[in-house]
Amino acid sequence: MISVGDLTKRFGPKVAVDHLDFEVRPGVVTGFLGPNGSGKSTTMRCMLGLDRPEAGETLFDGTPYHDLKRPLHEVGALLDAGYVHPGRSARNHLRWLAASNGIARSRIDEVLEMVGLTSVAGSRLRSYSLGMRQRLGLAGVLLGDPHTIILDEPANGLDPEGIRWIRDVLTHLARQGRTVLVSSHQLSEMALMAEDLVVIGQGRLIEQSTVASFVDRYADHWVRVQSPTAEALVGPLTAAGGEVTTVAANTLDIRGLDCVAVGEMAAQQQMVLHELSSQTGSLEDAFLKATAGAQEYTSTGLAAQ
Amino acid sequence: MINLLRSEWIKLRTVTMNWVLAIIAVAFPLVVTLLTAFFSGDDAGFNTRDLASVLTGTAVVAALLCGVIAAASITSEFGFGTIRPTFAATPKRVKVIVAKGVVVVLATSVLAILVVLIGWLAGSNLSSSRGATIDLAEVPTAVPAMIGVVVLTALMSLAGYGFGLITRSTPVAVSILIVWPLIAEGLVGALLSVVTGNDNIGAWMPFQAGIRLVLVESIGDGGPSRIVSGGYFGVVALTLVALGSWAVNRRDA
Repeated sequence: MISVGDLTKRFGPKVAVDHLDFEVRPGVVTGFLGPNGSGKSTTMRCMLGLDRPEAGETLFDGTPYHDLKRPLHEVGALLDAGYVHPGRSARNHLRWLAASNGIARSRIDEVLEMVGLTSVAGSRLRSYSLGMRQRLGLAGVLLGDPHTIILDEPANGLDPEGIRWIRDVLTHLARQGRTVLVSSHQLSEMALMAEDLVVIGQGRLIEQSTVASFVDRYADHWVRVQSPTAEALVGPLTAAGGEVTTVAANTLDIRGLDCVAVGEMAAQQQMVLHELSSQTGSLEDAFLKATAGAQEYTSTGLAAQ
Repeated sequence: MINLLRSEWIKLRTVTMNWVLAIIAVAFPLVVTLLTAFFSGDDAGFNTRDLASVLTGTAVVAALLCGVIAAASITSEFGFGTIRPTFAATPKRVKVIVAKGVVVVLATSVLAILVVLIGWLAGSNLSSSRGATIDLAEVPTAVPAMIGVVVLTALMSLAGYGFGLITRSTPVAVSILIVWPLIAEGLVGALLSVVTGNDNIGAWMPFQAGIRLVLVESIGDGGPSRIVSGGYFGVVALTLVALGSWAVNRRDA
């Protein structure tokens, strides 16, 4: 369990993290979402004591990070896969990390095997791609077999196979009862991987909930109808307070009415239906709606030009 | 602490640049001493004092290079970002700073011992074979000066480490480490001599005081003694490390 309480961090006049409170429970993957510049990485650095917060604290199973005797056995964190010396080999990178927490050398070969880097363990890290560095970073996270895992954008630079691999690894680790907090901009991945969400904007907590309730709360909901005589249903639906949109020939999207109401009206009209389904927006839609107004950087319609 | 010392030792010895600098640090005084012994060994005037002076004088360059190794040992961590996993693995930063300092000072001191031992043994044998009479007992200041090489190297490493902790930048730390003793102290010392009328004030410039540790010639010149000057430079070097530790402990990593 991770408990973040009243965490506040300023950089000069800018408040990067603003009295942030949230909890991360064990046994599930928790997604940490927010627009660029919302304070996710700063929060993670503050949680680990790397940035000095002005106020607040983070407890890992009730203990501040600073008081952990051998932190790599308790918390595995990957904040940036680029934090390596390019002249060292992967094995030597893991060796100094392992030595600092009294981890046996045999564990280095185990984690290299887990992340698939055994064959290139002796190569200098300057020859590693970003994806390989992400795998090495994950090896470092797993080194102490920690029960809490914190990852900042772990899928950056990974190919589709790598992205799927990291999703499988993280869900597997969570199922083992570990606490897993992952930040990512890949919302489709997050939708597949996370059960819980912590969403922040401009350093403040926007929402902490399960993915399902977050989407339920923020995403659009509508009913889709397909019928050879769909147009005949427009009048009755509108009269009943529905907002009807024709999205294709014989296909309507109806907002403001539920499936039961739409189905009964179709029955009254003795219509043949090819589809009657509830539709819900994606996590991406929910995220964009939840963080609207909390964007640090916004474009001015280049995509529309 | 043993785990941390092991970790820092692995870091130090797995960077190729450290080995390159270490080899240069050992080779430079050795080569200069051997060349001098070879070309001057059959001169009637070449003696124990000359050989010891060449060895300890060129060892100052080795000490400076060791200072560069020490500075880079911490600045490269900030440069490449490895300081973050380092402090994540050991949240008590002072422990890391102490462990890294101990490892780098011990490692560079061993280099200095190698410089002195190899340089003296090879130089004295070569000089003797070229007809010079080399006898350490003739020059009572020679052994203290050679011990001074080891102490100076350790203190120069501490000073370099301190600059590294304070600046967190390899170019800045190395520039200060070179410009301060080689240029700035000469200028400041000369200026203070003019202002105060005290010709010996230059000997109290920190690095100049440190370099007095390796002087073979009599240092009864009105300046501080070998032990006092070494102690003074040691206090300056430790102060730099203490200031750097305070800054690193306080700042964001």
